Amino acid sequence: MRNLNVYITVAGIYLLVSFLMPGPAWALQSHGAPEGICVHQMAHILFAGALAYLYWHTRKSPAIASRGWRYLQYFCGILIAWNLLAFTGHELYELLTPEDFINKDTWSEQLSPPLSGVKIIYYIAKMDHVFMVPALFYLVRSLKTFYREARLEVNK
Amino acid sequence: MSSIPLLPALIVEFFGSAAAILLSFYAVRYSLALVRLQPNNFIWGFLFYFCSTMAAFALSRGVGHIVRITLVYTDHNDLWKQLSPFSGGFNTLLIVSVAAVTIYYHKGLAAYKAIRSEARKLAEANTKLAASAKQLQTLNTHLEEIVEERTRNLSESEKKFRNFFENSKDIVYFCDKNGQITNINSSGKLLLGFENNPNVINFHELFNDKEALQSYLDGLAEKGFVSDLEMECTGRNGTTRHILLTANALYDKDRSLIGCEGIGKDMTRIKNMTEQLINHEKMASVGQMAAGVAHEINTPLGIILGYTQLMMDDFDENSETHSSLQIMERQIQACRRIVADLLKFSRQTESTKAAIDLNDIVLNVLSVTEHSLNIQNITVNRQLAPDLPRVTGDAEKLQQVMINLFNNAQQAMESGGEIVIFTAAEKNLVRLTVQDSGTGIDSTIKNKIFDPFFTTKDVGKGTGLGLSVTYGIIKEHNGRIEVESPVLDRGSQRELQGSAFHIWLPVTPETAESQKEQD
Repeated sequence: MRNLNVYITVAGIYLLVSFLMPGPAWALQSHGAPEGICVHQMAHILFAGALAYLYWHTRKSPAIASRGWRYLQYFCGILIAWNLLAFTGHELYELLTPEDFINKDTWSEQLSPPLSGVKIIYYIAKMDHVFMVPALFYLVRSLKTFYREARLEVNK
Repeated sequence: MSSIPLLPALIVEFFGSAAAILLSFYAVRYSLALVRLQPNNFIWGFLFYFCSTMAAFALSRGVGHIVRITLVYTDHNDLWKQLSPFSGGFNTLLIVSVAAVTIYYHKGLAAYKAIRSEARKLAEANTKLAASAKQLQTLNTHLEEIVEERTRNLSESEKKFRNFFENSKDIVYFCDKNGQITNINSSGKLLLGFENNPNVINFHELFNDKEALQSYLDGLAEKGFVSDLEMECTGRNGTTRHILLTANALYDKDRSLIGCEGIGKDMTRIKNMTEQLINHEKMASVGQMAAGVAHEINTPLGIILGYTQLMMDDFDENSETHSSLQIMERQIQACRRIVADLLKFSRQTESTKAAIDLNDIVLNVLSVTEHSLNIQNITVNRQLAPDLPRVTGDAEKLQQVMINLFNNAQQAMESGGEIVIFTAAEKNLVRLTVQDSGTGIDSTIKNKIFDPFFTTKDVGKGTGLGLSVTYGIIKEHNGRIEVESPVLDRGSQRELQGSAFHIWLPVTPETAESQKEQD
């Protein structure tokens, strides 16, 4: 109780001195353009990590071993791959220049020659739904299986 | 190398986005159904949140892609540039949300598993409790029946063993470690003569032979049992009983000896029969020896008697020498009678056998001896069977048998008494019994009374050949003689003082046949 009084007194003195001695303030930090892509990429890594954890946990736990969980593990695996692909796609897009595109923002848009590894991988990454849709398909199958098993358990 | 058209990628992006939205909502539908089906299941709850954020992400991303394609490729690029930061921001936000839901899954699942484990244990305990309650209820319902059935079984078992215990003709007993009998069956009480006061019997005190008692106690202490131990004890009315004993020690839970249980078989009759058999063998041997000795002595005695009588003729009747020769003659005659008796015992004398009525023999002898019997206050009770079958025998020798038996009875009743003479037909035998009310015969000498020269009389008062001769004559007639002392009264089942000699003689064959025809 005695210590608390000392802290309150010190804080009061500090505030008083601050009001008496004003200076320039740096209240807000500015968020430049690269921050968005950085946060997004970090989100992909976080999501992939979370999915990896879910995959690992469902595999090691014998209490939740069934066909439904196996489908959920497929979902985790494919979605991790999707995250990595999307992450790669975002990174590669940053490396491409407007000259790498022909007829940009039209239906006849093309990647200009000469084709490089970056362009080819970017092209593949552009079609990331090839991973995402099967992942969600396995999520649905997993839940469908859980539902069927739960129905059987309830009807017992 | 040529360029790559991006149209296929755009098509995949457009339709992939639509498919992703569709599938993610399909997943939400199933996860919602699961939550509704089992609202208390944490995993379904997690999957619902996961699918919802995943659907939100798929929707945000898919719509973003579709809107981008639509706006950009329809010359509305400026509008898309305004919208794209929001679309991207949403996407990022929802990716982080899905990741966050996934990460928190761990703690929730651990708590759910713990609760579920406890719930399962509780359910198992409840199941066991219910089963136990049901079992208890069943047990309660049938308890009375079970008790009744077990009581009935116990009662039957007890009855079975009680019958065995009571009906056994052997001695069955239980006693404590000091030998005090705690329970004994009826046969045991009867054999040992303790019908009225079984509580005061000490089994150890029944042993006549202390060595046998020691063997019994040592056997129980060391081995825990005794098997086929021969014991001799004094039974009912002082009679000696030979018991074949088998007993087991009884212990308490600390393996301390607390008593014993045993079965004793009365071997007295078998032992007596064995002794009689041995005695018969002995008598046959003695008879053979006596016959040999008698033959050898008889001839020299005849010569000595002849010469003595010749010498007596040579001396004056009043002379001292004549008197000495007379004494010699008398003593030689006495020797010849003994020899004659020995020959009769060994059945070496000639017999003239004919069919005779045993009643006649009895009456003939009584006509001579009854007077002297009456003088000694001995009354004769005749219980002679009428129409007694005839027996084949030497009348003279059978009369001697009667005389010997009457003499014995007379000598056993010095201060008077009663002689009962009983005759009866028993199948192909005729039975003759001479019973007196005298002093009786001690059990220790009962097996010796038919031995030649065995006598309880003072020296000079008897030769000890009377019953030997009787035995020899009866055997010569293919009969049987037995002694009973004390005598069991067949009517009252009481034991009477005195002795009884029972003689069985075979009926004459013609008489037996005619008797059969009459039957």
